[in-house]
Amino acid sequence: MAGGLSLYQEGASLLHRAHPLTKGVFTLSVIALAFIVPSLYWILAIALILLILVIVAGVLRRLIAVALALLLPIAVLLLAVQGFANPANHTVLFAIGPVVYYTEGLYIAAIAALRITCLVVATFLFSFTTRPADITEALMQRGLSPAMGYVVQSALQIIPQTLDMAGRIQDAQRSRGLETEGSLPKRARAYLPLMLPLVLSSLVATQERAMALEVRGFGLPVKRVRRYEFADSAVQRVTRWALALAVPAAIVARLLGWK
Amino acid sequence: MPDISLEKVLFSYPGGVEVYPEPGLTLALESGVTALVGENGAGKTTLTKLLIGLLRPRSGDINVAGLDVSKTTVAAMAKTVGYTFQNPDDQLFERTVKAEVTFGPRVLKRPPADVERGVAAAIKACGLAGKEDVHPHDLGLSERKWVAIASALASEPSVVVLDEPTLGQDYPSRQRLRELVMRLGSEGKIVLVVTHDMDFVGEACPTTVVLSHGAVRYAGPTSNAFGDRALLKEAGIEPPHVTELAQAIGLRQCVNEAEFLATWRR
Amino acid sequence: MSEPAVVFEDVGYAYEEAPHEAVSDINLRIEAGEWVGVTGPTNAGKSTLCLLAMGLAPHFFGGKLRGKVTVLGTESRAIKVIERSTDVGLLFQNPFTQISGARERVHEEVAFGPECHGVAPAEIEARVGEAMDLVGISALAARHPLDLSGGQLQRLALASLLAMRPKVLLLDEPTSQLDPAGTAAIFEVLSGLHQSGITIVMVEHRLETLCELCPRIVAMVTGRILADGAPQEVFNREVVQERVGLPVYTRLARSAALPAPRPVRLSESAKAFRTPIA
Repeated sequence: MAGGLSLYQEGASLLHRAHPLTKGVFTLSVIALAFIVPSLYWILAIALILLILVIVAGVLRRLIAVALALLLPIAVLLLAVQGFANPANHTVLFAIGPVVYYTEGLYIAAIAALRITCLVVATFLFSFTTRPADITEALMQRGLSPAMGYVVQSALQIIPQTLDMAGRIQDAQRSRGLETEGSLPKRARAYLPLMLPLVLSSLVATQERAMALEVRGFGLPVKRVRRYEFADSAVQRVTRWALALAVPAAIVARLLGWK
Repeated sequence: MPDISLEKVLFSYPGGVEVYPEPGLTLALESGVTALVGENGAGKTTLTKLLIGLLRPRSGDINVAGLDVSKTTVAAMAKTVGYTFQNPDDQLFERTVKAEVTFGPRVLKRPPADVERGVAAAIKACGLAGKEDVHPHDLGLSERKWVAIASALASEPSVVVLDEPTLGQDYPSRQRLRELVMRLGSEGKIVLVVTHDMDFVGEACPTTVVLSHGAVRYAGPTSNAFGDRALLKEAGIEPPHVTELAQAIGLRQCVNEAEFLATWRR
Repeated sequence: MSEPAVVFEDVGYAYEEAPHEAVSDINLRIEAGEWVGVTGPTNAGKSTLCLLAMGLAPHFFGGKLRGKVTVLGTESRAIKVIERSTDVGLLFQNPFTQISGARERVHEEVAFGPECHGVAPAEIEARVGEAMDLVGISALAARHPLDLSGGQLQRLALASLLAMRPKVLLLDEPTSQLDPAGTAAIFEVLSGLHQSGITIVMVEHRLETLCELCPRIVAMVTGRILADGAPQEVFNREVVQERVGLPVYTRLARSAALPAPRPVRLSESAKAFRTPIA
């Protein structure tokens, strides 16, 4: 089920309905801001906003799965390494025998972990609520060339396509007696029989794709038709500009000594 | 004792619907050539993948030539089952036809003498004699299909599964396929042919299984398989052309040309 | 008389770096509105014939073209494939080849061609709906093209082609992945298109089908045209019997030593077998 690889989840929430550009600008600015703002409280505020949006979008459950798999190990690692070993450590928080945990390290780790959390959550929130095709379509409506648009769209499709192909090849070779699981030497031996058909098939597929584009008239100098309109609004336009301007503003503020 | 048996097999793809309706698929196949026919999406390819363990049933038992499939890896099943997929390009990777055909028996660690015998016989049976040193990708699609079939036969499996072997094959190639399949059947192997080509079924497969919407609707001699018009329609099947002709001129049902001619002469 | 749809004049074509020509000495004139079946054994040059008519050979494949291929009045050397695509559609043998690789939904995939042609959105929507309906994939509209089975993909490829409204259809084994019922449904669609005046050139192995559908058959062997004419004429020629094979009905008549001309279709065949031999 290759199509299932897109993270997009059908929905009708505010976020699903928002203009793809608004979501794109929001995602990028929020990530930038999370790394620019100076203190833990500011980052917490951003994280809180993201959390509310996650709930609004109705993707909390899926996000928790991601958080547990991806973020928890990172956070634990950061908290441990920084708390025990950051060079800035000097205020003792607690001690287990000879091992001492420091407040400075905890603070630094918390900031780092929260920033990464914002990055991951914002990215997934965007992926869960925006169809990849919509973002390229929106960009093309803003003047991205159809050729570039196609490159972006097809790039987004390459992973599912390749996985699809790889799955078929693996099935075929296993059916001939090739062990693809087990010890490392076993898997190493399986490398060529799995990779070569994949490379060859991908090359052929690329050539065929180029042919498909020609016979379907891709590249004719026609006025591009809008496939569909995205609902936009004054509020969204203002939000986009505000978010986009907030990033340089925050950078300037930091340079001027915002702590 | 049937050679392949499926007992109340239930299976569904992730997020998909049940392929075989309750209480599951039950089917027994004996040695010889069996055609597996039915509409697109009837569950034919799923069935063949279950036989070799590429797909695992949610419940039910599958036995193939004495092996409990649930307890056997795909690679181990390959010793017993030679499986040919529709698209040969999913498997071809060696530099010569001979190396490609040798790959299966080699990874299955068969004794060198057996490998040599199996490979030579497979290459001959698939009409690839003289092309042993050609790069498989320099061959046309139809011949690449034959390389894939030879690869499956080279390990001398006791079960042979062919998925749509006649697709895109011209008349001489279909004739060779017919001879090959019939010979394998007469050697006591279990040959399962998934196909939409009813002329081929009539000519080469004495037994037919009709699968429709995941249920076995007919399993028995091919000569009686095309009697029930309503079932044929449901299973997206059209009878062989000879059968149509026999019916049109009021002869009793015939499924292949030899039968037709014999009946007509009388 | 309107201009012919497809004309090959002394055409020979060799793919790049190929030692021999894939097709040679092809002379063929297909009038607008004809439905021509092309058949022959492997490596007969059937697919190459389609690629030449589309212009992909030589524009895409390079290679060496002798003679002239003229489609709808324009010689293939003088027109790019993308320009050709507004009037001529090619259905590839492998339906996967047809897919743009850029669309996540079946209905968007069908819309790809008309969009490239600059068709107005409302018109695109109408065409997409109609094309999906015709080939029977409306229920799959929201699915991902890669999630489709071979048969469904083949229907999608055809729908994508029909939505472009070509005047000439080049079909390379259009129903190879379909079950008999699906095949019959697609041929019904093609019959409708034929009746509406579209020119169809169709490569097909199933000779019985060809004889039922196509008023004219071109039999090819090793890159050359072996016979060209009405089905009964083509399949009654000794050389075709030997090198291309025969429809079941014709072969049966031959085995039964029925007198020539031997039947190629079911109805004629039934008549011939009922008639007692004098």
